[in-house]
Amino acid sequence: MNSVLIDLQHISKVFPPATVALSDVSVSFRSGEIHALVGENGAGKTTLMKVLYGLERRDRGDILLRGTHVDFRNPREAIAAGIGMVHQEILLIPEYTIWQNVVLGAEPVHALGALDIRTARERVARKIDEFQFNLDPDAPVGSISVAARQKVEILKLLYRDVSVLILDEPTAVLAPQEVGQLFLELQHLRDKGHTIIFISHRLDEVLGLSDQVTVMRRGKAVATSPASRLTKEELARQMVGRSVVFAAERSPAEPGEPVLVAQGLTVRTTDGRDALDQVSLQVRSGEILGVAGVEGNGQFELVNAIMGLSTIAAGSLFVQGIDLSHADILTRRRFISFVPQDRGRMGASLPASILENAIMTHHILDRSFRRWRGLALNYRRAIALTRQIQHQFDVSMENAAAPFQSLSGGNQQKVILGRELLLEAPLVLMDQPTRGLDVGSTEYVHGLLLDLRNRKKAVLLVSADLDEVFTVADRIIVMSRGQLVADLRTEETTREEVGYYMLGGKDAVHAQADI
Amino acid sequence: MRKQTFSGILGVLAALVIGGVVLALQKFNPFSTYGALLQYSLLSASGLSAMLSRAVPLVLTGLSASIAFGSGLNNLGQPGQLVIGALGATVVGLFVPLPAVALIPVCIAAAMVGGMLWSGLAAGLRRAFAMDEFIVTLMLNFIADYFALWAITYPLFDPAALSPMTRPIRTYAWLSEVGGINASVLYMVVATVLCWLLMSKGVSGYEWRIMGQNRLFARIGGCRVDAHYVRVMLVTGALAGLAGGLMVMGGPHRFVKGLGANYAWDGVMIAVVANNSIPGTFFYGLLFSMLQQGAIGMELVTAVPSEFIDVLQAIIVLVVVAGRVSLNLMFDRIATRKKLRESLQ
Repeated sequence: MNSVLIDLQHISKVFPPATVALSDVSVSFRSGEIHALVGENGAGKTTLMKVLYGLERRDRGDILLRGTHVDFRNPREAIAAGIGMVHQEILLIPEYTIWQNVVLGAEPVHALGALDIRTARERVARKIDEFQFNLDPDAPVGSISVAARQKVEILKLLYRDVSVLILDEPTAVLAPQEVGQLFLELQHLRDKGHTIIFISHRLDEVLGLSDQVTVMRRGKAVATSPASRLTKEELARQMVGRSVVFAAERSPAEPGEPVLVAQGLTVRTTDGRDALDQVSLQVRSGEILGVAGVEGNGQFELVNAIMGLSTIAAGSLFVQGIDLSHADILTRRRFISFVPQDRGRMGASLPASILENAIMTHHILDRSFRRWRGLALNYRRAIALTRQIQHQFDVSMENAAAPFQSLSGGNQQKVILGRELLLEAPLVLMDQPTRGLDVGSTEYVHGLLLDLRNRKKAVLLVSADLDEVFTVADRIIVMSRGQLVADLRTEETTREEVGYYMLGGKDAVHAQADI
Repeated sequence: MRKQTFSGILGVLAALVIGGVVLALQKFNPFSTYGALLQYSLLSASGLSAMLSRAVPLVLTGLSASIAFGSGLNNLGQPGQLVIGALGATVVGLFVPLPAVALIPVCIAAAMVGGMLWSGLAAGLRRAFAMDEFIVTLMLNFIADYFALWAITYPLFDPAALSPMTRPIRTYAWLSEVGGINASVLYMVVATVLCWLLMSKGVSGYEWRIMGQNRLFARIGGCRVDAHYVRVMLVTGALAGLAGGLMVMGGPHRFVKGLGANYAWDGVMIAVVANNSIPGTFFYGLLFSMLQQGAIGMELVTAVPSEFIDVLQAIIVLVVVAGRVSLNLMFDRIATRKKLRESLQ
């Protein structure tokens, strides 16, 4: 067996005031292995890696690299020691070419300090050949796919000669075919002697790719074992701390009347591009329509167009036969319950109290929330609603007057779900409703979605998580480059087919050819 | 809320100690200085009366700034709105022949309308041309100042006066003293209570507060944020205008050059210290007027120059604002340590 390269010993980290992110975590990474770090959202995987990488300070514990104590104060020091990390968000300059992005910050220079363009470009080209990355060094980053950008991020680190690569949820933004390609490249890297630490919460991927798996749960390292000795069920049990049922019970849909009818919805950006291009769709009562697609292909624009947050350039939008194409937001809120993707930006006011967040929209649509000729808020009614949400949606909270941001992510989402679902609107629009939630909360949300369907609501679910779409949706539509490219019945399609459409058809063939 | 009261009191006390050290370094006796300060404000009838009158513009412009900032608007036009409000009350007080029962309310209304006009102008420019109210309200302050100066130098000039000022307004519009305290103080208290009701009990206050914290969330929630924007501008303009009107009606009974002085900027500062809380604005307004009023007496009986009070005010602002943040950090750090120990057991 290979020698221990990185040894994390008894690492603890508390985020002020009282969130224990890591509690006495010890993990060893051996050189030349692919080591997966798995766990639910919030289990501490990313924090642990940020502590190693010098992005977060630890409160306790030691870090050993090849047996000597190290303490990186920033990523620059970590990279100098041969450790590099690729973050979830890709940070590249779209106007620059691939080689320009790669050398940025570590440029070869002439004697007088001018950029040595020829050497720089050549070195990047050589690295691309060495690792068989299939990239054109002169292509501007803005013109290449998300998967290719990710490769550029990895290349950036390889150019700086790191031997350890930390990848934080690299597959989150990829289509299934692209995931396969990435894995081949990672295995190739490992065979060349690199060590790869791979953060994920997708069990199939973890088992398929890695040599070692460390499971984290609630800030603790539960176990490290060779992937060959693990099963998916065993891994899930370690992650959640109990057995998980993978297939949610979903009875066949019995859809009724159309509730949402959109025709040719078009949203134009300020530079004249169609971010949403002639999208037509229908959601019927008692039906869940899933919207799949690689992020940034018009899903957000679709949500904004439905909610009235952006003006449509063409097309029409009807809910229950009422024309909402150009209605103001308040009018739409009578018909639409909305759970946005970004809790802190769109779904809640973080510094406001739980109560103040719980009554939003209710306080306008329901007259019982007002007193004194509508001038004053009826706080008694407001408290009653907050309590109802707390009990009905199982929110663990102490005081309705506490700030919303004092709740955990899962509980925040439950308050938002409760608020929106108790509006009892005929159409429910959910944009990434389980993003950042743990397995338990995710199961809960999926249960709620299926319950809504039974209660004959029309549900439009936008999700970047294909598993989620396949678990709950009755029909799946796929968006690519602002267009609706496929409308499929869940029973009659596969992940591969959806992935094919996600990549816009043509690219998909290309990606498969690479494998 | 309780944490804020605590950190506020602690901050003011700390600032007084720092001020005392500054005094001692200059070879003044801090105790007799602070004693004189109190003697000529809180502890004597005439001092108290003058202090409360002085608090009127401080508190009202402070409320204006608190409500604006709390709703996410950068209304920094309190000085100009105050001046135009004062001018409105003066014009009505000079030229409208009404009996006392009617003239006082009409003058007050004219002051508020004047302030609303000035803030409404900024709101209109924002709606029509997307001009940022931050810069517009600031610039309108200069226009208001020079417009008022022109008005009292030429059309409204009192021929008997030696410097720019209007003739006195009709005596019917004068606010009387009730038990030694000017009636303008009463209006200030009523305005504070109404503002508190609006912000803590009202539907508008709720929506404004949320709008100030997260405008997009308020908008998605169905609040009419554009209409609220105009309303907040008008209400906060009216408050600043009211301050100006009450200053004319309760004080010199005419518009004299330099009437607005620095009151409105002090009001903005008070809102910042009070972290936009209505009761906080009221109390800090009283505190600052106490210091400013006491400074006059302090200069009489001690050798300390009244400028020392400017220094002391600045120290209070810095210590309270910085203290609020660092106290929270300190509470957090204690909690962090406790949690770390618990989690490792």
